[in-house]
Amino acid sequence: MLTIAMGLLVMTLVVLFIFNVDLFTKKLPEKFSVVAYMKEGIPEADLQNILAALKKNRSVEKVRYISKTEAFRELRSTMRDADYILEGLDENPLSASIEIRLKREAVAPESVISFVSDVKKMPGVDDVQYGEKFLTSIHSIKMGVQTVGFALTAIMTAGIIFICYSTVKILFYRRKEEIETLKLLGATRGFIRAPFLVEGGIIGIIGAGMSLATILVFYQGIFKKLTVAAPLFTAVVFPPEVIIFLPAAGLFLGVTGALIAIGRIRF
Amino acid sequence: MIHFQDVTKYYDTNTALKNITLSFEKGEMAFITGPSGAGKTTLLRLIYAAELPDSGKITIAQWETDKLDGSTIPLLRRNTGIVFQDFRLLFNKNVFDNVALSLRVRNISEKETKDEVLAALRMVNLRHKTDAFPSSLSGGEQQRVVIARAIVGDPTILLADEPTGNLDPDTATGIMNIFKEINARGTTALIATHNRELFKNTGKRVIKIDGGAMTGEEKG
Repeated sequence: MLTIAMGLLVMTLVVLFIFNVDLFTKKLPEKFSVVAYMKEGIPEADLQNILAALKKNRSVEKVRYISKTEAFRELRSTMRDADYILEGLDENPLSASIEIRLKREAVAPESVISFVSDVKKMPGVDDVQYGEKFLTSIHSIKMGVQTVGFALTAIMTAGIIFICYSTVKILFYRRKEEIETLKLLGATRGFIRAPFLVEGGIIGIIGAGMSLATILVFYQGIFKKLTVAAPLFTAVVFPPEVIIFLPAAGLFLGVTGALIAIGRIRF
Repeated sequence: MIHFQDVTKYYDTNTALKNITLSFEKGEMAFITGPSGAGKTTLLRLIYAAELPDSGKITIAQWETDKLDGSTIPLLRRNTGIVFQDFRLLFNKNVFDNVALSLRVRNISEKETKDEVLAALRMVNLRHKTDAFPSSLSGGEQQRVVIARAIVGDPTILLADEPTGNLDPDTATGIMNIFKEINARGTTALIATHNRELFKNTGKRVIKIDGGAMTGEEKG
């Protein structure tokens, strides 16, 4: 039972970790944008064409045009305390630009690269900048965590099924004589299997209950105190669905293990 | 009701039964007799499909035993009460639950089960041992629990393998009276025994087997 609880605990922690990494990376697009710098003296018609084309693009969430004057104003307000640096400038050195915010589903590195190369080809566009390295590394981390997580979950699942399988198999062998007698008295396969499936299910649910209790104690007792001391932890989310998911997973794995253990009943 | 047609059964290279052709009518009471190892138990095991013949055909009511499968074998066995030679009692269950098993496998309601189990225990004179566990019973009492389990729920066929092996003559007579009573209700009763006293003066058919072959038939 403890082994099942430990297995489910590790499995849930892995799932929670993946869930949180996923949630974190989903929030990134809100902060991620592509900036297209316009050529000097771009005709108004070309600019309007670019804006219209970008707005029509399926990957684009939001488009914001920043004129030369506006860019300079923003720079000045950013350098509020050191704006004397800008005093010596005879003319505005900044380019007009378009800030493009991409949709969540379009933030995968390949689609961003292809989008950026399309934008670069537009007449009037001088250069395009985006956080290439940042994007690629976040994506790699996400994929890595997911792969390791899925592998760990698969191993744990197989482990839990095997534990339930061996527990039920032992019970099955212990009751072999009884099962033989039941068969001779006219019991059906379902009648013989039912108590073992119930036992497998109970083993799984109790294991899940123990692991759920551990997670809840950890989350409520330790984690919430940690968030006060280290606000970084407030970003970690514990979805309430886990309370239903864990016992359901325990039940499923327990019954599956029991089913494999009983195998085919021959008369 | 029960028909054996040229039935032969081997255990490895040993012939347990050879070319048995035999019929039992519905409601008949008959004895199968012969020395130990004659094939009596095998003959009974073939009837409740614990064994299948290597050749020949066995028909029980509407069923041909070699055509039965996992879903129909339980139906045949639910209609057959069996007194096993090795008892097959469950030692972790009390007398009541052991007898009730026969009805619980048929999903009969607990109320009906209780009434029928108590009636069967009364019949074998063990009503007072309802809550006892088999390990606390004598050999004869255990045998009577097995008989109660076999007759509870009025089976169509009753098979008894050496049912009085552990009983004193008086109790054996009592058990035989129970079988006669069950038979009188229309149950086909086949009793395998090497005890000649059991069928003496019964006027019932006695089938003699030896070395797996039928050696004769007489009236008891």
